[in-house]
Amino acid sequence: MERRVSILLVVYTFLVVISVISLYVLGERRADVYVSLNILAYYISYAIIRPSYTSRAVRALNIVLFVLFAIIVAFRIYEVLVS
Amino acid sequence: MNTRLLVLGVNIIVVSALLAVYGILVGNSGLVGIALSVGILGGILVVYSTTPQDPSVVALASYSEILVNAVTSTLEDLDLLESRICAVKRDNYTYLVYSKTTCPLGVDPGVGFTGGSPYLAIPASTPSVLVESSSEPTSSTTLLERSLTEILVGEFSACRGVRVEEEGGFYRVHIMGLTGLLKQYLERPVDPFTLFVLVVSSEILRAGCVKLIEKKITPDGVLIVLRSEKSGAEG
Repeated sequence: MERRVSILLVVYTFLVVISVISLYVLGERRADVYVSLNILAYYISYAIIRPSYTSRAVRALNIVLFVLFAIIVAFRIYEVLVS
Repeated sequence: MNTRLLVLGVNIIVVSALLAVYGILVGNSGLVGIALSVGILGGILVVYSTTPQDPSVVALASYSEILVNAVTSTLEDLDLLESRICAVKRDNYTYLVYSKTTCPLGVDPGVGFTGGSPYLAIPASTPSVLVESSSEPTSSTTLLERSLTEILVGEFSACRGVRVEEEGGFYRVHIMGLTGLLKQYLERPVDPFTLFVLVVSSEILRAGCVKLIEKKITPDGVLIVLRSEKSGAEG
């Protein structure tokens, strides 16, 4: 596998582990916070490492994760506006 | 396809699903969050397991080294270092022809003479991963771009992306983010990117002759300009 992809997966996994442990220790109970931080960790790793390989599946994954993140953020904003 | 990564990703998804079910049963939403997060990690591993492994691009680099050395010395002997290259279709084969004359069509594999000047014709087989035209009408430019992306990006990881534009009968192929292993051949008379582009174009455009008009190294990769002709100069 391309070396950059391997580095991306290692960095991303490391960030996810750190964020999940930190959130749980802090007593966070909202599931969407875990998911949004996970997606953020993926995009940060992707932006830093920029693997040269971008297949159709990877592009689709990027879009799906972005849409999921946008939905979570939109829902949070909606909650703030409604309350 | 990286099977180990795929198995790891699927295992992580299964474990996260079980953890999510347990979290829901005990009413711990924090645990459900962790399970979802881990599940996404598993999904990402599964998607990235489809990336081609190193050996394909390493094998291509190694093959290119042998081909470039052999063909360059032959071109030197034939005084064809300043020659033009084109792809000629003949008898269901595609020949990559180095010649100083304009795209000779009647070539045989190997070294020969046409119109009093020598040529070197290298037979090339059609790559197996060419994108076929579907039922919906697709332009040759789109097909060419998809096929080149499938081969250069999907199969060999030789570059980051391919873009094809057509302009007045000329096809401009932008190959971006070249892998370091193959970049060194761009300055040589034989380079794998040009050869791939010519062979695939010849197949997709169904042209008798596809000529290389220009090859320009850009900051992001290489620009290859082609022109397809139904027939070239008979040799």
